[in-house]
Amino acid sequence: MKIEKLFQKTRFGIFALFGMIVLSTSLLCIYTVDTQLSAEYETNSRNIAKSIADSSVDILLNRNLATLQSLIDQFVEIQGIRYIYITSERGEYLAHTFVPGIPRQILESDPSSTETVERSIPGMGDFIEVGSPILAGVAGTVHVGMDMDIVGLKIQRAIGQQIILISILLVLGVLASIWLVNLAAKPLGGLLDYAVELAADRGKDKEPDDELLARDDEVGDLARLFRYVSGRSSDWKKPGASSTRVP
Amino acid sequence: MNVLDPGGDNGEVWKGWPMALTRRSLLRRGAAGLLAICCLNWRYARAEIGGLFDMILGENLESGAERGSPSGNEITLGVSAAFSGPSRGLGRELYRGAKAYFDHVNENGLLGRRIALKLYDDGYQPDPCVRNTMKLMLEDRVFLLFGYVGTPTVTRVLPLLKKFQNERVYLFFPFTGAQPQREPPYGDFAFNLRASYRQETNGLVKNFVQVGRKRIAVFYQADAYGRSGWAGVRAALREHGGEFVGEATYRRGQRFTSSMRPQVEILKANSPDAVICIGSYAACAAFARDAVDLGLSVPIANLSFVGSENLLQLLTEGRENPDAYTRLLVNSQVVPSYEDLSISAVREYRELMARYNPQVPAELAEEPYEPFPQSFVSLEGFLNAKLLTEILRRLGLDPSRSRLEEAVFSVQDYDLGIGEKVSFGPNRRQGLQTVYYTIVRDGRFVTLDDWESWLG
Repeated sequence: MKIEKLFQKTRFGIFALFGMIVLSTSLLCIYTVDTQLSAEYETNSRNIAKSIADSSVDILLNRNLATLQSLIDQFVEIQGIRYIYITSERGEYLAHTFVPGIPRQILESDPSSTETVERSIPGMGDFIEVGSPILAGVAGTVHVGMDMDIVGLKIQRAIGQQIILISILLVLGVLASIWLVNLAAKPLGGLLDYAVELAADRGKDKEPDDELLARDDEVGDLARLFRYVSGRSSDWKKPGASSTRVP
Repeated sequence: MNVLDPGGDNGEVWKGWPMALTRRSLLRRGAAGLLAICCLNWRYARAEIGGLFDMILGENLESGAERGSPSGNEITLGVSAAFSGPSRGLGRELYRGAKAYFDHVNENGLLGRRIALKLYDDGYQPDPCVRNTMKLMLEDRVFLLFGYVGTPTVTRVLPLLKKFQNERVYLFFPFTGAQPQREPPYGDFAFNLRASYRQETNGLVKNFVQVGRKRIAVFYQADAYGRSGWAGVRAALREHGGEFVGEATYRRGQRFTSSMRPQVEILKANSPDAVICIGSYAACAAFARDAVDLGLSVPIANLSFVGSENLLQLLTEGRENPDAYTRLLVNSQVVPSYEDLSISAVREYRELMARYNPQVPAELAEEPYEPFPQSFVSLEGFLNAKLLTEILRRLGLDPSRSRLEEAVFSVQDYDLGIGEKVSFGPNRRQGLQTVYYTIVRDGRFVTLDDWESWLG
């Protein structure tokens, strides 16, 4: 006879506990990674926009647009930055990196805005755009568009890695708990079988399982107690033991 | 990096620079010296160990010669240009033209020296160009930089020249009409022969406006070159009280097989009277092809950088009706037509090109390319070489970088053989100012004098 029922709830409880830990950790992880990476990308974009704005002043004042274009071409090579455009104080597009042309959504937006805006440009993707004023805005504005697809991909990858790790821990934890539960269940099963045998063989002279009776734990104590109660033994103490934990 | 040049014919030295001192160069120099000692090569060991001390001390111990002065029997010019990639025709033709003249000079030598070219391929890409320039300045220690191709490449090199301004490494006659090497803060480090893009675009706009084509759109390369031309067109249009009616861009490095239909559609939607292209020949040919195919039947103008012969070849090769694709093309040029035999420099150019028929070194010519017997680009390279030779001649028997600027400024009303006199000065770092216009007739570029009758 097996004692599955006793441990089924235990196993379920362990699984549910681990599941809750994994779920809550994953949700927290998704939230943290998403928030932090998005914030980091936005900060980087803002820093790049500021850096371009700061270094553009002389170039703009010298009307050297080729050098200005060369400058933004170098920045757009940074991963995650998909477009950069610079507008004058009058809203003209002085330099940009768009191909084959400046998208309608950009043309229709406020060229002097430095607010962070989310854009969805057909054929290009989704972007977060940040702006930085040049010479406090009197010389124009630098706009940097960050590709949300790449950011999303990075967030997914980071979250995926964390979830894989947590899932591996979950599987290992469940397997370990099953093994431990089985470790406890096996002698208890033996004890149950022994008790059943004792009950079935009442009045007979069949000798019980010595191995079970020799155990130095609660299962051994219970086995010896059952033997004593069945009248096959005059002492429920373990042979050679001075005392027992069971009364 | 070699500070000493033991391979020189007379054992003389080229000076090294303190800023060339790197951990790698020190280790290499030291290891080479030790190896030479082990191999009992005393002469080489002495050179290497001596060079190591020179580097550590930050100065060359050899006395006499000035930094950057060629004291061997060669004057080496450093070249980084597009010998590969979609714009390889430009680098190769420019080189061929220059080489034809230098071969001619080297037959008798220039004041006892030969003119040598140290070539590197940058594929018309800025980063390789910067690396090549570092190599030319710090390792090859060339006397000057010459014949660079392209705006995005040159604009990235200019800060490097400023960084090493104490070494007075000048860039001579780059194949670009952009403003950065003509204006502060980098104008002092370059000398230009050709007219600027600003002059080219100004001329094109002026002529279009004069024949009533005021609705002008631009198609340009999305980089410093395109922006330079774009700015030129914008400034010219504003002089006539106008603005662009549309603009479209393409990414550098496009081939003729690329589709430019989206760009054509963008411009066509604005109903332009003319389109000015600021691009390389492969992309501009693709645009002209798609414009004709999509029914945008307006004049399409290209700047000198386009490489007219390469453009024409792409548009006409294997076509049944090539005229349909070329009849509305107009290209601005910064040198006269190589067909005009009344010009003495053109006669000389044709003769020397035929005599030497220079070829690009095999290691730089892996990609297939069929050179043209004559072209506007190689004629420009030829004129660049001719003027540079004259400047080197003016440096005399003991050329040094410190006197280069003085030698350039001594060029006043110099007759290069094309009719226009060349002059340089502290506020004049561009030799030629004339812009020529050409159209295609019978499969060849001919000079355009009458815009009215062409578009009438």
